Amino acid sequence: MSAPRPGSLITPDWLLSPEGRDYLTCILRKRKRRTFGLIERPVLPPQLPADVASYKIFVTGKSGVGKTSLVAKLCGLEVPTMHHETTACFPYLPGIQTSCVYWPAHPRHSDRPIIFAFQFWDCGESALKKFDHILPACKEKADAVLFLFSFTDRSSFEDVPALISRTLSQEENVARVVIGTKLDQFMHTDVTEQDIRDFQQTWQVPVMRVRSVNAPRLSDGRSLDGRTELADAAPVLNGLAEVLWHRDQITAGLVDIREGEISSNAS
Amino acid sequence: MEDTSVFLLCLTASSGVPLYCRSKGSNRQLTFSVIGSLNGVHMFANNQDVLLTSTRTENSRVVWRTFHDSINLIVMSCENTASDLSLNKLLENVFNAMVLVIGLDDLVNIKNVERLKKDLRACYKLIDGFLTESEKMADLTQCVDCIITHDVTILQECLDGFTQAAESDFGCLMAGGKVVTATEKWWRLASQDVMLLCWLVASLSSHSSRDYPVYLPQGSPTVPHRLLTFQLVSGVDVCILCGPSPSLQKVESELVERFWKPVVDPLKACLRVQLRSFPASIPLHRGIMGLLLVNRDLNKTLYTVQVHPLEDMHRTELKFTLDQRRAALRSFYTLALSHYLIPDNVDEKTIPCEEMFASGFSHHAHQCYTVSSSHKCYALKTELHLLFLVFKPEVPTFSMSTIANKTLQVFTKDFPF
Repeated sequence: MSAPRPGSLITPDWLLSPEGRDYLTCILRKRKRRTFGLIERPVLPPQLPADVASYKIFVTGKSGVGKTSLVAKLCGLEVPTMHHETTACFPYLPGIQTSCVYWPAHPRHSDRPIIFAFQFWDCGESALKKFDHILPACKEKADAVLFLFSFTDRSSFEDVPALISRTLSQEENVARVVIGTKLDQFMHTDVTEQDIRDFQQTWQVPVMRVRSVNAPRLSDGRSLDGRTELADAAPVLNGLAEVLWHRDQITAGLVDIREGEISSNAS
Repeated sequence: MEDTSVFLLCLTASSGVPLYCRSKGSNRQLTFSVIGSLNGVHMFANNQDVLLTSTRTENSRVVWRTFHDSINLIVMSCENTASDLSLNKLLENVFNAMVLVIGLDDLVNIKNVERLKKDLRACYKLIDGFLTESEKMADLTQCVDCIITHDVTILQECLDGFTQAAESDFGCLMAGGKVVTATEKWWRLASQDVMLLCWLVASLSSHSSRDYPVYLPQGSPTVPHRLLTFQLVSGVDVCILCGPSPSLQKVESELVERFWKPVVDPLKACLRVQLRSFPASIPLHRGIMGLLLVNRDLNKTLYTVQVHPLEDMHRTELKFTLDQRRAALRSFYTLALSHYLIPDNVDEKTIPCEEMFASGFSHHAHQCYTVSSSHKCYALKTELHLLFLVFKPEVPTFSMSTIANKTLQVFTKDFPF
């Protein structure tokens, strides 16, 4: 499946537009990202349409590459900043944990906004090896898999094609996205832009980049500034929305696959 | 050394290789030579057929324990409230936490020390919780911390239905890290296992759902079960203990909303009682500052040091701070249990009575109290309950027994616990 060109399906800064503001307030409260339990939903004013589209996204990658950090960042939580490749920022995860992020977005050519509900499935590398049920559980009904590598660890980048084939077979209809983490540590970068371009060319999989740094704190000194933190997370969330929206359109037969190919070649 | 620091060391028993070191209240690490000496003296004694269990200096206490001839745990505490009983409980909790995450097999037959060290990192958060915890009592009492809410009947129904639909007998609903209600079978698990599972859930950062393999230290130390947790609303989780099926995906997508959406308001109401652990409508005597009630049959506790939260809030400066109340309650509990109110089912593993008081009599104490200039304490033991109260100093000593009996009545008749 070819990937849509970034920005071609989702309006990038829509949440900052007058129309998007109401949607922004349903995920931000007092400049802090809201969290929702499983039986809760973002509440919108009654006159606004609120279609929710849910997706299950499995996050995988070598141990220490920053899976839990990425999910925390996309959820608006604090990411511990420890610049040692050898020590994991988060305590080792002994099983699976999932986190839900609500992301309102406006698909171009659509008359109404959609609230994307991304549920990220994160699991510890050693648990994955020790227990047989973990990988099938993460893959069950998944819509997308994120394959992570770290910009500071070349071997994690070189392992991505093998990781993809270890995790998914060719015929599985799951969106594939590669994400490079720790882009902020450019002094230690082991992977160049040329490498990324070559990779995209060869494997036809979109590659996104994230910085593993925190947004500034609010005046209470504890929580992160929601607006800045959202602006940081927005490119990845919009990118995922785009990939999954595109996939839905193809499944529904609304988009000609060849058309998609042309647009991706044009990029 | 700072007067509140605690150091916890874990080493392999056979070779003395340090597996980890955790600490509280100190930025300094113990030097390798200190770690070596602490372990060395224990090993030396062992070679002379002497079991070294504890020692104390002017300002610190050290306790050693070996588990299954494989893991040595050493704790050094400078807290003045520390006692042999509390430190031994701490070491048991820490070892049980290791079993919970790693499984007993991998701790008893250590094949690869470096691998084990790595795996043990998954327990750090749980272990640190035992070192620093302040809102709970279960680490000391081994009975899980609970709250009382008004809507418990309807929540219990939902929980029973939900648990059954998820093909399990073991379900538990938690708010703010404390148990709201649990299924019949959940209460029949070993009390340490129940305590540890709830402690685990409370120690983890908030996530929508989880699927953790867990080994129950008492019930199933070598065969893992799955602990599923679901965050219903922020701060309220429902947990299920189950076998290979059903999958997390299935329970989450098919059962969570169906069973819990109708009770979203009662669920949110659970969070309102948190500081007090029971509704504000339950009347308690003005002189009570702290309360600890243990149900000895179901192994659950009710604990609070904010008996009158509103009153406390209005006063900017508390005469006897919450931390002091907590410390007073903990040390009084330890004192009462190790000297006077002896548990009925004493097995060999528990620490023998520190004082000859109890062993000198054919009968056991049922009530005891202490009086100091800053507070008074009273303990009461009945067939089903243990009650510990911390009073303001102005409460007359002779009235403590009456107040304690009345308080117990509230929690046996009006709001049964």
